[in-house]
Amino acid sequence: MRSTFMGLETARRGMFTQQSALNTTGHNIANASTPGYTRQRVNFTQTEPYPNVGLNKPQLPGQMGTGVEAGSVQRVRESFLDVQYRGENNKLGYWEARAESYTKMEEIMNEPSDSGLSQTMDMFWQSLQDLAVNPSNPGARSVVRQRAVAVTETFTYLASSLNGIRADLKNEITVTEKEINSLSEQINNINNQIASVEPHGLLPNDLYDERDRLIDQLSSLVNIKVDYTSSGGNASTLAEGKANITLLDANGVSLGQLVNGTGFNNLTINFNGTDESVKTVQLGTTQLDFQQFSSTGKLKAIVESYGYETSSGDVTGVYPDMLAELDNMAYMFAYQFNLQHEAGATPNQINGSTDETPAFFSDTENGAVDIENKKGMASRLQVSDQIMASLDNIATSSKENPTMGDSTNISALAEIINKPFKYGNNTESSFRNYYEVLVGGMAVDSQEAARLSANSGTLRQAVEERRMSVSSVSLDEEMTNMIQFQHAYNASARMITLQDEMLDKIINGMGTVGR
Amino acid sequence: MRVTQGMLASNSLRNLSNSYTQMGKYQDQLSTGKKITKPSDDPVVAMKGMYYRSNLSEVEQYKRNLSESYLWMENSEAGVEHVNEALQRVRELTVQGANGTLSDSDKEAVAREIEQIKKDIMTVANTQVAGRYIFNGTNTSNPPVADGGDGAPQADLNTNSYLVEVSRGVSLKANINPDNVFSQELFDTLQGIQETLDGKGAGDLNTLLGTLDKRLDILSAERSELGARYNRLEMVEARIDQQEVIATRILSDNEDADIERVIMDLTTQESVHRAALSVGARIIQPTLMDFLR
Repeated sequence: MRSTFMGLETARRGMFTQQSALNTTGHNIANASTPGYTRQRVNFTQTEPYPNVGLNKPQLPGQMGTGVEAGSVQRVRESFLDVQYRGENNKLGYWEARAESYTKMEEIMNEPSDSGLSQTMDMFWQSLQDLAVNPSNPGARSVVRQRAVAVTETFTYLASSLNGIRADLKNEITVTEKEINSLSEQINNINNQIASVEPHGLLPNDLYDERDRLIDQLSSLVNIKVDYTSSGGNASTLAEGKANITLLDANGVSLGQLVNGTGFNNLTINFNGTDESVKTVQLGTTQLDFQQFSSTGKLKAIVESYGYETSSGDVTGVYPDMLAELDNMAYMFAYQFNLQHEAGATPNQINGSTDETPAFFSDTENGAVDIENKKGMASRLQVSDQIMASLDNIATSSKENPTMGDSTNISALAEIINKPFKYGNNTESSFRNYYEVLVGGMAVDSQEAARLSANSGTLRQAVEERRMSVSSVSLDEEMTNMIQFQHAYNASARMITLQDEMLDKIINGMGTVGR
Repeated sequence: MRVTQGMLASNSLRNLSNSYTQMGKYQDQLSTGKKITKPSDDPVVAMKGMYYRSNLSEVEQYKRNLSESYLWMENSEAGVEHVNEALQRVRELTVQGANGTLSDSDKEAVAREIEQIKKDIMTVANTQVAGRYIFNGTNTSNPPVADGGDGAPQADLNTNSYLVEVSRGVSLKANINPDNVFSQELFDTLQGIQETLDGKGAGDLNTLLGTLDKRLDILSAERSELGARYNRLEMVEARIDQQEVIATRILSDNEDADIERVIMDLTTQESVHRAALSVGARIIQPTLMDFLR
């Protein structure tokens, strides 16, 4: 026999559950603009019907429903989209950082313009031509000297600016390293909190959101893979468990764990290569060569810009490479120019001095321009002290015909700029061509980085859109739900009134015959 | 697909930001007049730009070198012409002096005039242009002819060519060979004529006249060569002028923005931007809230 008051209980359950749903709707609306928030939904489940099977079950025509309860509160999220998002975010992190470092380099090189190295060299050539036309003119001589100073200063400026950016990049690597470790630590903390909640059968949705947001951030820095282990206990089937984060290389092979169920590993970048370049990366206790590290993301991009040591012991990277090329050009140009200069005769010699023809360019630290000291030449190149001391130390004339009006040597010096030499690699090209190719190469790389950055940005945007389509709060939808739940709540309340009226009939209206 | 307010807002923002990027690009192009502001905008244009700039500055330099060549050649021409006239006068005077009817005092008068002409030619030989001796080859700091004592000129000539580069790898001689004009032989002849007329020397005026004629022939040959070289210089100049126009045009073609087109694009982009703004305002505003009491 069923209870007289069963209807009251059913209606009460309805009211409670609709109220929970309204509260969740309120939570959704309140968090409509919270970053990383995933809308939540109350899963309604029917309560156990009456009667249950059993020996003493009452004889009823069938089972009767007993109402509703809030089964669980669940996030509306698709984990597959998270994987996609993190993949694209990772590529974007890499290409964006790379594009940025190239943009800075382009700003420094400042080509084509009226103030770059190429223009300075053109002006030097012009001054040499002016002197060749009028070799005895002290004005033309002094212009040659000043323009030569401008060439060395441009080299120095370029080298020191590139080195400045490189120092900034080093800082950025350290900051990124800290960011990665901080994210690992935070994820680990959240893992621990989740692990203490889940075994009670609860779903810590807001912690999940926070954890996903942190993993998204981490994915732009290094390439990662996420899998989950259960926290055990009486966990709900919807519980996600603890997140394990594995560091992957470019081919998706594991390099070690950043976060596992029990703790997290610190990532350390060691500047232990030549020129303070990056040589090894330490993850926990594992040492990795940076060449093997190859985990795409912002970290890799900035280390590649900054420079790392390869297995052959060379330093390679966007900035070190450009600096090395500038050294190549500064060295080869100064060397060849000196060679030709020393073959000529100076006005001082024409006027009877027996001093040797001095070098035109010199090295601020080591004196002579020597291949032994090629490294860093661009930042040390200067016009030699003898030339700075006397304009009449510029060798305009040839040794065969030492006269003031002879311009053989100065013409030959001007020709050095146009003559092909082996500046960097084994092919011969003129100074201008070599520099054009260098700037062109940089421009192509920069363009590629910018294009891929834009591409991965678009792809990430597309995934983000799909993710938002699933997870983000729609106010219209929440309003509709609100109306729906409110009406259901009101209706349940009405049911209670109905039950009350029925009971009133039983209690006050029945058995009063003849009263 | 479920579309939410957040998506609309972020899409709208992204589109606006893209639109700003485009407008920024067009504004850069308009304000700089260049198609590109950094090499990665178009690496090919950037590389070509560097090459064409060098090319243009080369052409400009060669043009500057040309004016130096003109300076030398025109001054040389003037000097040689002057010497030519002077020598013609010497020839007349010598023929006159060889005439037996002249008295000794007449001959002496002729000798004085010839002496003055000789000194004049010496001055011409030591012509300086902007502080440089132009008739002494590459030895521009020293005078070619000096007084060797007792009025006899001593020529110490440097016969090297004074070369000026007028285009890549092409050098043009800007001076004359002084040996063909101001040779020791010429000065010796003049000195001989002067002394013979003075009655001091024992030279034969007819032989000396023969030598003088030979020098005159050599001088006119040098003068013709100078003229021919001057013509060549003018041709080079015409070509370089043309090259300059071409180099400037190519530089401009390569990197200058097509202003009309950029303005059109900018105007189009502005209307797109306005539309994007108004759409954003329209989409984001109304929600179900506006219709619920």
